[in-house]
Amino acid sequence: MNKRLYLELENCIGCRSCLAACTQCGGHDERNRNYVYDVNPLVNTQTMPLMCLHCVNPACARSCPAQAIQIHETGAVLSALVEKCIGCQNCTIACPYGIPKFDTEQNLMYKCDLCIDRSKDGIPPMCASVCPTNTLQWLTDEEIERKQKQFNVKNDKWVTSIHLENETNVRVNLPGILQGITKLY
Amino acid sequence: MQANTSTTKKAGSINNAFASHFAKSMFLSVLGLLILSFIGTRMFTHVDLNLYGYMVGTIVFIGGFFYRFIAWGERPPAKIFIKKGIKLLFRKSTPQTTAEHLITYRFIWNRGIYRWTQHILIGFGCILSCFVTFPLVFGWMYFTMDDNGMYNIIFMGIQVMTVSAEGIIAQLSYNALNITAVMVITGVCMVLYRRLKNMQARAEQTFMYDFLPLIMLLLVSVTGLALTFMNMFLHGAGQPFMSLIHQWSVIITLIYLPFGKLAHIPFRPLSVFARNYREHYMEQAPKPCKVCGDYFVSVEQSNDVINVLGTNDIEFAKKEGFHLAELCLPCRRKYRIAQFSGFPTHQVKVKEANQNANG
Repeated sequence: MNKRLYLELENCIGCRSCLAACTQCGGHDERNRNYVYDVNPLVNTQTMPLMCLHCVNPACARSCPAQAIQIHETGAVLSALVEKCIGCQNCTIACPYGIPKFDTEQNLMYKCDLCIDRSKDGIPPMCASVCPTNTLQWLTDEEIERKQKQFNVKNDKWVTSIHLENETNVRVNLPGILQGITKLY
Repeated sequence: MQANTSTTKKAGSINNAFASHFAKSMFLSVLGLLILSFIGTRMFTHVDLNLYGYMVGTIVFIGGFFYRFIAWGERPPAKIFIKKGIKLLFRKSTPQTTAEHLITYRFIWNRGIYRWTQHILIGFGCILSCFVTFPLVFGWMYFTMDDNGMYNIIFMGIQVMTVSAEGIIAQLSYNALNITAVMVITGVCMVLYRRLKNMQARAEQTFMYDFLPLIMLLLVSVTGLALTFMNMFLHGAGQPFMSLIHQWSVIITLIYLPFGKLAHIPFRPLSVFARNYREHYMEQAPKPCKVCGDYFVSVEQSNDVINVLGTNDIEFAKKEGFHLAELCLPCRRKYRIAQFSGFPTHQVKVKEANQNANG
């Protein structure tokens, strides 16, 4: 039953539904906390989403002087507690993926919390529930494993698990066929 | 909580007299309170023994406070901010920052006027109550009457003024805690209403963390007001009983304060330290992003974060010759996309587009 967010990056068509959906989450105060990037802007149309990967040992929380960033029992790394965040922005510097956003007016950091009001009850986060191309999925570990087997191209060049900085609760995959070392689109 | 044997201070240092920071802080605080009370009560001749329960409660609270504060201050990131914050305390902007962060709560105003109002009511209700009760409990302030109908207000053993028992100052003194109780009750009711109605609050709150402190504050205020009510309208019926309930609720709240949501009260001054730290070091030496060259943070903070992560065995040094904390946020995100795709997105000089959806 334990499900995780699973990203199949190359499915992304850049529609930014995930950004719009993010704003509509109950706890998100109408501000989105995720990103969609052009891989090679002005040259081709490939995009990829980027959101908090919910590290098992999160650098943001380790660098927080106020213990404002809590880790939920589901593994989700939550936004700063509003009463504790002192606005030092250590978390934005520490995050290896550049995810936390900071509101200077409110002196408050906010970030993806995997829509904790939804995901704690097993409901997929807003982004995953609206993604039209299955870039963002909400899957069990078995389903993810099955997918990884399916995408494991045995040409000695392509590995399905992308190297990240650390162990994360969100799983990322690029289920394409590798041509050369650089992937072509 | 570490013993001072690890520090390389000279043998004659006062720190060596104590087993730990905690023991030292506790000893000095209780000693300070004792001296102040000795002076304030004119050598313990004017102690209000009716309030001794609060006195014991306060000392237990101080124990809990130091335990929590010192344990927290030992964490590497907190230690950096405390140390550098104290060094930078006398900046020109400190009074303004302090006023905005600790008195007018400007950042809460920006989160919403409703939330600001409730916070002002609860915050100042509690702070003003403390200004009244603690001096009374420790005997720093008391009243005497030489002439009939005229109260002397004695503060720290000095007769500050003599006021008419019917006058406005006397009335304010009698009713100070009633006024603050009404402030706190209004504020807590506003908070409870918001927590029941606001979808965002409902998504995140838990009973024990968010509601318990509110219920404790409500209990303190209501039982306090009940004391006044019993005195004025019931000829004191039930007053001894209610005063014990009130005392119990205050002491429990005090002891709980450093451990739950209310812990943000003693920790909040760190936000002034953090602001000073950011401003000072940004003026000293801003840090250019290793990819795009934009200034995004101070050199000091970037290094501090790298060191703090190092003490946690987290190392984000890349083969390109930079640490991830040396990249500005958009470049760091683009660098991640580059790791995913194999194409160096972060090297392309194009601004990130359409990252904000309007909800």
